[in-house]
Amino acid sequence: MHPSLRVLNARKPLISFIGKRSWPSKPESQHPHPAAPSELQQTFSDFVKKFESSSSSVSPSNGANGGSKEAFGEFWEAPARFWRPRIRELEDGEIDAISSGGASLH
Amino acid sequence: MLQRISQRNAPRAARRLRQASLQVGCYQAYRGLATPSGPYDAVIIGGGPGGYVAAIKSAQLGLKTACIEKRGALGGTCLNVGCIPSKAMLNNSHMYHQTQHDLQRRGIDVTGVSLNLTQMLKAKDTSVTGLTKGVEMLFKQNKVDYIKGAASFVSPTRLSVDLLEGGSTEVEAKNIIIATGSEVSPFPGGAIEIDEKQIVSSTGALDLQEVPKKMVVIGGGIIGLEMGSVWSRLGSEVTVVEFLGAIGGQGIDDEIAKQFQRILAKQSIKFKLNTKVLSAEKKDGRVFIKTEAAKGGKEETLEADVVLVAVGRRPYTEGLNLEAIGVEKDNKGRIVIDDQFNTSVKGVKCIGDVTFGPMLAHKAEEEGIAAVEYIKSGHGHVNYAAIPSVVYTHPEVAWVGRTEQDLKASGVKYNVGKFPFAANSRAKTNLDTEGQVKFLSEKETDRVLGVHIIGPNAGEMIAEAVLAIEYGASSEDIARTTHAHPTLSEAFKEAAMAVCSKSIHF
Repeated sequence: MHPSLRVLNARKPLISFIGKRSWPSKPESQHPHPAAPSELQQTFSDFVKKFESSSSSVSPSNGANGGSKEAFGEFWEAPARFWRPRIRELEDGEIDAISSGGASLH
Repeated sequence: MLQRISQRNAPRAARRLRQASLQVGCYQAYRGLATPSGPYDAVIIGGGPGGYVAAIKSAQLGLKTACIEKRGALGGTCLNVGCIPSKAMLNNSHMYHQTQHDLQRRGIDVTGVSLNLTQMLKAKDTSVTGLTKGVEMLFKQNKVDYIKGAASFVSPTRLSVDLLEGGSTEVEAKNIIIATGSEVSPFPGGAIEIDEKQIVSSTGALDLQEVPKKMVVIGGGIIGLEMGSVWSRLGSEVTVVEFLGAIGGQGIDDEIAKQFQRILAKQSIKFKLNTKVLSAEKKDGRVFIKTEAAKGGKEETLEADVVLVAVGRRPYTEGLNLEAIGVEKDNKGRIVIDDQFNTSVKGVKCIGDVTFGPMLAHKAEEEGIAAVEYIKSGHGHVNYAAIPSVVYTHPEVAWVGRTEQDLKASGVKYNVGKFPFAANSRAKTNLDTEGQVKFLSEKETDRVLGVHIIGPNAGEMIAEAVLAIEYGASSEDIARTTHAHPTLSEAFKEAAMAVCSKSIHF
């Protein structure tokens, strides 16, 4: 078969690989739950009204959650990334280099 | 030399020791968090598959998280009295039955085979304990606070917890996720009372101390068929009574359901379909079950040593004090949510069996992850069109997507492709050839709409179909994908080929 014909006849898979997700900066808007009964889907605006009129706030006396603006009394109260780095650990050679003031590299 | 090695490793060992002691210190500090030191970002009520997965994911996303569970063990119904113990019993009872009835034709002669039910139940309990403890360890690893107790709402952001060890505490959270799951539905109208000895739910059916001579299973859904299979293999004479005209429960393809019933009937399970149970009366150590035809008329009394009531499950919200904060429920007792798992009260989300959708552990897990992603980023994802169902009998039955009867009813034009395991080489070598793979794809685009499998390992094989539906694959995409030979998965490929062209081996 002529190469160009082969290209024309090439099968295009229907499967689509979506790749890494990038979410929009704005949160999604509310919709009825897909598995909700139809009568509840039809009256979804009532649900939204009820949701909007409900209030949810934590008491101010307790301060913030484990977020970044908190002061920590103990180091382990800080987020784990500050004292338990999980990205990589030091190699033996690196530890030796530090312990020996670099002499182990020579 | 030894000295040299120990010197070399000394700094590393010291560092490890330091890390270990920090972890202990950290855990002790975290244990104290049930007393206030600032609100949690997320508190999950319920440590089942939805709840514990949500808790772990939440902590992984950097949210300060606690999980409140009143059972005293994590894992919920699934790990403690559901999916996991039933699979242990299904697997071991299958081995027992196979040893008794199947090994000889494979050239293996065995004598003196007998059932040690106590040991079989112990093996089940061992797998349950191992897994529940494993979840507890994952909580520690991920820094999830595990609070053992029963939670009830004081306000949308504050929970009162009656601790299992005595006393109570209060927990404050910016976000609360209700994941309290479901409980066994009682028999409609209260005509049959479950005592978990002679008249049992799935919980009692997993812990019978002797094999009943006769067992009646009320309900031909997944739980009824799985537990009926277990006790049938161990020697019970099992009769399944089902109100509807087919077994397998909601979502099963009609054609597959019929084939399934035929196969189970060959395994000596009796079926009474279109039959309504009126009552069950205990007398002289036996149970007498009165039935009549579902459309009225002919009455019959069945006799059994044990009756399993498997008529479904219902949402569980007892003791949560939802009324105090105004969380809305529907007429089935399910908590009403939107597509972001918000209840009618801001800051309170809900996932799993206690809300809409099929009561499946893996569905709850997906929702758990999506719910905390919504909390963290305002975005999440659960595809309700790609949630598989599996019946762990032998052969297994598994499906995902639309059924043929459903496509017909909604007027969708479709193609069908089927491939029997009797034509699959691996099934042949395994002497395990009952069943088929059935594909349904959209006529115009060839996109896979549904896959239904009855056969060996169907529960594992369905994962490929779920992925295909999730990716929007066509049957041709699957048919052109290499599947290893000789494997059962070739039956899957060949069924796909049967849709878009023609299967090779059938």
